Amino acid sequence: MSEARPTLEELKRRKALSRQRVERSGEVMTVSMGPQHPSMHGVYRAELDLDGEVIVAVRPEIGNLHRGVEKLCEERTYHQIIPITDRLDYLASFVMNHGYCEAVEKLMGVEVPPRGRYIRTLAAELCRIANHIMWLGIHIMDLGTQTFFCICFRDREYILDLLEMLTGARLTHSFGRIGGVAKDLPDGFDRRCRKVIDFLPRRVAEYERIVKHNRIYYKRAKGVGIFTSEDCFAWRVTGPPLRSAGVARDLRRDEPYAAYDEMDFEVAVEYNADVYDRFLVRMKEIRESCKIVRQCLDNLPDGPFVASDAVHALPLKKNVLRDSAAMIQDFYQVFQGPLAPKGEVYRAIEAPKGEMGVYIRSEGGAHPARIHFATPSFYHGQAVPPLVEGEMISDMVAIFASVDVVLGDCDR
Amino acid sequence: MRGGVVNGAARLEEQFGARLLDRVEFRGELTYRVASDDWMEVLRFCRDDPELAFDQLDCLLGDHLPERTEAPFDVVAHLVSHTHGHRLRVKTALKEGQNLPTITGLWPSAGFDERETWEMYGIVFAGHPDLRRLLTIEDFEGYPLRKEFPIQGTVGGRIRTDLRGKI
Repeated sequence: MSEARPTLEELKRRKALSRQRVERSGEVMTVSMGPQHPSMHGVYRAELDLDGEVIVAVRPEIGNLHRGVEKLCEERTYHQIIPITDRLDYLASFVMNHGYCEAVEKLMGVEVPPRGRYIRTLAAELCRIANHIMWLGIHIMDLGTQTFFCICFRDREYILDLLEMLTGARLTHSFGRIGGVAKDLPDGFDRRCRKVIDFLPRRVAEYERIVKHNRIYYKRAKGVGIFTSEDCFAWRVTGPPLRSAGVARDLRRDEPYAAYDEMDFEVAVEYNADVYDRFLVRMKEIRESCKIVRQCLDNLPDGPFVASDAVHALPLKKNVLRDSAAMIQDFYQVFQGPLAPKGEVYRAIEAPKGEMGVYIRSEGGAHPARIHFATPSFYHGQAVPPLVEGEMISDMVAIFASVDVVLGDCDR
Repeated sequence: MRGGVVNGAARLEEQFGARLLDRVEFRGELTYRVASDDWMEVLRFCRDDPELAFDQLDCLLGDHLPERTEAPFDVVAHLVSHTHGHRLRVKTALKEGQNLPTITGLWPSAGFDERETWEMYGIVFAGHPDLRRLLTIEDFEGYPLRKEFPIQGTVGGRIRTDLRGKI
């Protein structure tokens, strides 16, 4: 199945060719899709102008899940914000904690100990695997099959069990802490995690056997929804859709954080910029994530898992329950809050769906003066009109699913 | 350095000189403040100059500093270059009711960001193709991210049900 890598010009030509294949009748019908439509992945609504079966214009409408996260954060101390970040992308909530913590650590100048960095890397990669498996199940379900969805959810369950063992929660982990993570690896985690990581690549091979060479999937995905690298830059589409357009950009490698600079992994890249290649990129990423998790387990350093920086970090939970001084410190840290220096930082990390940036401006107090989450789904939801205009309405579900939008992430 | 201070900063300073009002370097990040009249020109230069080549707008956001009475609003743009791998932050201050030209012509991804900034702060982006409320409902009153807007209660955030069906 090896093909020559298409150039940007070739991709542009293919894109122009694949769109608006039929003569327009000039009669436009407006159809409302969502927010209750099963393929809209949450409460995304799109008004489609159709000419026959061709989509002429799309007007996306978001905000049904808006909770005012940024306003809430301005009233809270830096530790109290962590559970709120869980609710952004609830399918990979640890990654959201992680991005926020990285930004706060950059602002406060907190050093994370090596073991903390490794556990963060491990948990973030587990989240990435769970997110991609979930994406695959739903993407294939949108295209009309039910059984495969159940297969994917079965395998996601193994990862969720691991995350539950590690963090105590299945979806909203709140596992990140300023200066490290909340807990050390529990007993028996290593063995269980290795077991899952060993069989997952085989499962991915199984998915590929079912999906990759499936004629129905191939015909619905190949050459559909082409979005070139230029389009991706213009519309800030990042993550797997960008990498499927032949751009090897991955913040884990390009602006390393946590322990990624010590990991040996490849950036998954494909070149055809269509729905099919976005699937291939995500399958490659699951394999690479398994590799990273295994390296984390193999090379896990000893030592503390959270910074012993009493000014900024929380004391260990086991001390809080035994020692009154630690309890007072814990109480003080959460409710009075650590003071951040005056200044502003922006930190972007590679979330499973794309680049997630956190901007914090501090005026020197215990609360951030302004916090902004530049979440990937927000921009991916915005890029839906240029992605689907000119395509057929039946491809809308395939293309919309292929950029992976979660509305909690989108609406904030 | 990737992700660090922009290498072409000297190029920007040479081009605009005193029109860059303020330069702040904090934690390896570079911030320039420009006048709102120069906003469009500086950003266009940042995008088009080959040494800067900021081909992506990472995010654009508003900010409210009520203690700065003469110009209480900030608009902040975060730029990133895929060619060189560097980042830059550009800011401008605005008075109450002052407009800013839209940059959707430079980076179309600014569309949602500008709509959000408008609905949250009341900063109007002149020339924006579709400046409607994005995250709140159409008949929502007030600008929720301004500092005087309460975090609880119904004052200022009244939902005008009497307008239902008329908009």
